Amino acid sequence: MAKSALLRVSDLVKHYGDVRAVDGISFEARTSSVFTLLGPNGAGKTTTLEILEGIREPDSGEIEVFDVRLKRITRAVKQRMGVLLQDGGFEPYLKVREVMRLFASFFESPVPIDEVLSQVALTDKAGALVRTLSGGQKQRLAVGAALVNDPELIFLDEPTTGLDPQARRNIWSIVSDLKGRGKTIILTTHYMEEAEALSDWVCILDHGTIIAQGTPRELTQDFGEETMIEFRADELGSGALEALRSCCKDFRIDGATVTMETEDLPATMESLFAWSREQDVSLRNLIVRQPNLEDVFLSLTGRRLRE
Amino acid sequence: MNDVFLLARTYVATAIRERVTLFWFLIFPVFLLVVLALIFGRVGQEGEINFDVALVNQDAGSSDPVGFAAMVVDVFDGLAKPQVERQEPLFTLHRADQGEDPAEFLDHELTSLRRGRRAAVIVIPEGFGSSVFGQMASSESEGTPLIVYMSGTSVASEMAAEIVGQVLSGIDREILVRAGRFDPADAVTAETVWLGGGDDETLYVDFLLPGMILMGFFVNGLFGVPGAILFNRDRRILRRYWVTPVSVPRYLAGFSLGHLALCGIQFVFLFLLGRYAFGATVSFAQPAALLTLILGAVTFMAFGFLIAALARTANAGMATANILNMPMMFLSGMFFPITGLPAFLKAIVYVNPVSYLVNGLRVSLGVESAAFSPALAIGVPLGWIALSALVASRKLKWDVER
Repeated sequence: MAKSALLRVSDLVKHYGDVRAVDGISFEARTSSVFTLLGPNGAGKTTTLEILEGIREPDSGEIEVFDVRLKRITRAVKQRMGVLLQDGGFEPYLKVREVMRLFASFFESPVPIDEVLSQVALTDKAGALVRTLSGGQKQRLAVGAALVNDPELIFLDEPTTGLDPQARRNIWSIVSDLKGRGKTIILTTHYMEEAEALSDWVCILDHGTIIAQGTPRELTQDFGEETMIEFRADELGSGALEALRSCCKDFRIDGATVTMETEDLPATMESLFAWSREQDVSLRNLIVRQPNLEDVFLSLTGRRLRE
Repeated sequence: MNDVFLLARTYVATAIRERVTLFWFLIFPVFLLVVLALIFGRVGQEGEINFDVALVNQDAGSSDPVGFAAMVVDVFDGLAKPQVERQEPLFTLHRADQGEDPAEFLDHELTSLRRGRRAAVIVIPEGFGSSVFGQMASSESEGTPLIVYMSGTSVASEMAAEIVGQVLSGIDREILVRAGRFDPADAVTAETVWLGGGDDETLYVDFLLPGMILMGFFVNGLFGVPGAILFNRDRRILRRYWVTPVSVPRYLAGFSLGHLALCGIQFVFLFLLGRYAFGATVSFAQPAALLTLILGAVTFMAFGFLIAALARTANAGMATANILNMPMMFLSGMFFPITGLPAFLKAIVYVNPVSYLVNGLRVSLGVESAAFSPALAIGVPLGWIALSALVASRKLKWDVER
């Protein structure tokens, strides 16, 4: 049996002046899953989240959360949710433990602080001032502050932006752990590998509207039997590369990376090798792969996610 | 209640741990208190202070049947001599050298006064002696007054002015006695009160300390409140609170409590320093003084909210506070009396809540006389609080704009 929806959003609209930041968005997030809003900067991800977090009011639309229909998020709802803001700050001269104690005091039934600190691996840093923490540690503190009330619904707005690969992995493992404990997570990201690694459901946003949604597998399968071929060709002019266009279904050049999309991999590969001998170029970093969410976004909008 | 208390604690901890804030909130007022008390603290304690005073006698050559001009000179000469063994005299008297042109000497001394090298320049005008004599003969005639030049910008000059004034009234009485128009026995005895000379002396530090404490509160409110709110808003620290169930009123309660606690810490700090390092004698343990302190702390906090509400960014808030800081502090009588100001500056004094609070606190401590009616002294600060609360409740933005 399908799990029930913890959060349901219908026809959410938010304007900033003439700009329709959120233009009639509807979706539902199921209990105990990771729901991801994927899209480039300015797609409306953060505005949608800010409405759901209760720091902005929608112009119109309806939110149903914890089986209650609302026009805007109330304080009672906030008691049961945790929020990691994209660019929230902390008092730099507060100690980690003091931050946790402060946030715990905002909720009716907080979990013991030491438990949260160990969950986000900050037990050793409990006595450190916020200003002395590294970027990854600060982000883990932010996650800790969002978990201090043991929330059922957790919003993570771009949780790994600006973090190094190790710190990013740490956050990913915390998210997986939370999902394992039955939490519902609403995630935004513009990293397609993050969306693919974590999400049960992906909603692709562009210009304030949803342009596709489904499981990561469903979304990439919409490409059918296509295969992607990628290589680097920094020393070649576009004239030489144009010859490749005829031997594949789609063809694009992004900086030094050439991506070919094909339904007949053997034929395309043969043509590619013939072309490389003819041009006397090495096919550096040649990769053959399945389409990913980046390709999905590109095929839908003609633009890349990280532009 | 726990959240309010922890928010208050956050405010205090942040202020005390941040070195820059700590400097302005605690070290700077202490520093100013130390500097001012060291420079002027001993003023009025006979033998330990010394004023440079110039005396110009333009009446030396003229006919003076009784020798009044010489008498004045004698009095100041006396003051310039040590009264007790091993004690410094009150005045160092500067007089024209033999054969020096009095007009030239006067010019020179007035320049010295302007540059702060003299506390006062006293001029006995030509015809002074005969004029006094004439006055004694007929009570109607106008006298030729002594001229005393003071520097309006020097505290030493203010102090010297007081003392010279006392000396002159002493001379005045002496003249009347000699004229037979004044019987000391019948007179209401006008005791000459030497600053710091008696047992119930008002030390300068007693005058200064209340001003310093209010200055601490003032700087705290003017810079601390918009600083904390606007920086926390712009760095999205506040936004993190708004995604939790905590409300703006509860945040505000915690913030205000923390701010007032910080003022309390400041007060204790300055009070102990004033009492034990500088021998201040004022006692704040009286309802009027404590209420004035609280009213001051709240007024300046409200003022901070007013700035926070009107400034778009933290930097704009700090700039506004900087612009208001000096005029509000100096046109308030916090450091020196505000008499003799031009009218347009006086207007600032009258709308400036600092004036009322500083005077109110000093009145309640008995170190200054009341300059305003009690209704105004309380009403003006309350008016500022009301205005600030109104503007802040409408204009203050608690979250970054998109």
